[in-house]
Amino acid sequence: MSGVISTTDVCRYFGDDEETMVKAVDRVSIEIERGEFTAIVGPSGSGKTTLLHLLGGLDNPTSGAVELSDTNIAAMSGAVLSDFRRDHIGFIFQSYNLIPVFSAEENIEYIMLLQGVEASERKRRVTDMLKQVGLEGLGNRRPNKLSGGQQQRVAVARAMVSHPEIILADEPTANLDSKTGIALLDLMKELNENHNMTFVFSTHDEKIMSRAGRLIHLHDGEVELDETK
Amino acid sequence: MLLLKLAFRNIFRQRRRSLLTALSLTGGYILCVFSFSLSEGSYSNAISFFILDHTGHIQIHLDDYLLRPKIHKTIDDPQGLSELLDANEEIESHTLRVFAPAISYYEKDNSPAQVIGVALDRERSTSTLAAKISAGEYIDNALDAEGYYSAMIGAGIANSLNIGLGDELILISQGADGSIANDIFIVKAIVGNRASPDRTTVFLPLIAAQEFLSMYGSVHEVSILLKDDGEARVQAAALQDQLPELTVDPWQTVESTFYQSMQADKQGNNFFMGFIVFIVFVGVLNTVLMSVLERTREFGVLKAIGSRPLKIALMITLETGLLATLSLVVGILLSLPLIAWFTFTGIELAEPMDVGGILMSHLTGELSLFVFGMPLLFIVVFALFISIPAGMRAARISPTEAMRSN
Repeated sequence: MSGVISTTDVCRYFGDDEETMVKAVDRVSIEIERGEFTAIVGPSGSGKTTLLHLLGGLDNPTSGAVELSDTNIAAMSGAVLSDFRRDHIGFIFQSYNLIPVFSAEENIEYIMLLQGVEASERKRRVTDMLKQVGLEGLGNRRPNKLSGGQQQRVAVARAMVSHPEIILADEPTANLDSKTGIALLDLMKELNENHNMTFVFSTHDEKIMSRAGRLIHLHDGEVELDETK
Repeated sequence: MLLLKLAFRNIFRQRRRSLLTALSLTGGYILCVFSFSLSEGSYSNAISFFILDHTGHIQIHLDDYLLRPKIHKTIDDPQGLSELLDANEEIESHTLRVFAPAISYYEKDNSPAQVIGVALDRERSTSTLAAKISAGEYIDNALDAEGYYSAMIGAGIANSLNIGLGDELILISQGADGSIANDIFIVKAIVGNRASPDRTTVFLPLIAAQEFLSMYGSVHEVSILLKDDGEARVQAAALQDQLPELTVDPWQTVESTFYQSMQADKQGNNFFMGFIVFIVFVGVLNTVLMSVLERTREFGVLKAIGSRPLKIALMITLETGLLATLSLVVGILLSLPLIAWFTFTGIELAEPMDVGGILMSHLTGELSLFVFGMPLLFIVVFALFISIPAGMRAARISPTEAMRSN
């Protein structure tokens, strides 16, 4: 196994005043290996989402470095950072965040369009992804005609279709009932195993945690425990 | 293509709001087109009216005759000038004229008159004089049995002197050589009506006027009708180069008062159009900004998954451009029959309207690329301009902050 993403003493503080400053992420140094299925766990406000945002280049650290494939993404900005995210990172959000005016197929296809993938290849990959996430025949439906679980499967397909090096999922099951949530996690785990794809997701759900291969426990922005099963 | 599809679908996301915005764009466009058509049509009609009535596209005089007319400021070789103008392929026709103030008499009545001697055949093909005859017939150069020339008189003189067809009109004026000019002319035609601009004019054959005013073959004015309406300035400049001893003016100079008032009125019209466009765009700006504000989270997601900021700004521009284009297509489809009717049928006014000093009782519009194109250009440019701040706002959205919003 080789390191895909790592952080070195990464900090994200909110506020300038010493007394009121919130240390959302404080001196976190972790390294995620290729093919890992890692959960960042902790209570609400422990810094899970902030850490995921830092890992994904959505937010800039106050200090420290975030390296993905030996590139310090904390130093990037603008179009360069957008292109880097597009080509290297897949995102799955708690609220699915699909484009409402696009069908499931078009939501999946959009990121490949940004990458300049040819139309025939886009169509092939969309069909393949819909099959892998179990949404065959539902590609023409818009998000509002899909259940929460189905929408999140579209989000998984969207995150994976560009073949990113890592997929970051922020509480992907939080808006799903437990049965659907576990089914989604099983799907992610299956894709992780079949494609050796690296998944990092945040959760505070014990049942979901149990499916992770590695648990990084956060408390008040600091790594409290890093355990591999 | 997918970006275009996204923009198109986003327009229909808030159907009612988009429809209202489109209606204001369409309505604004139609108002602008109508306003332009009315202005261009009215002025085209007014210009055609005086160009064909008497001015022509170009006039030639000696020195400053146009500003300070004097009987002795004459063009002394009209024959040679006519030959030059006849050979010019840009010129449709031209006519020669002499002018003098006079007093007209009939029996015990008298009335001031403006004598205009016209080259009868050339005048017929250059101005609408023949068409303005309301009684009698267009005169010729022949003397009658008693040795009198014929005259066409304005309806105002006919009314003041109570003179009719076949009656003898006496004119008294001053000749170019300082002598007293007086002669008898037989009224053969009445021109226009009592409200016509030439109600106090007496039209004589050119040769008769030259003899009457002792002008010995010279003329005061050459009026030229061009084949192309828009070439007056260019052709006037070209003729001026050929005729350095004379003064050649396009109709814009000859009718400078009208031309200046037309230009001022057109500027007022542009201001009116700007005002309409401003009102329309306050509405459009509101729609575009609301649309961006509502979709903050979505833009955050688009940025998170790799859309470049510029692409997001482009999407907003595309949406605004599409909405404006759709509205303008509807606007063109609706305004085309309206303007066509206005141009070919027009509106009959109960009271005449003053258009740059010319009273017009029948208003017609103009159907041209300019009338449709100018407001279209205005609206497209402003729509794109408005999308810039909205697009910049969307492009600057931070994904993390956007995804925290609802």
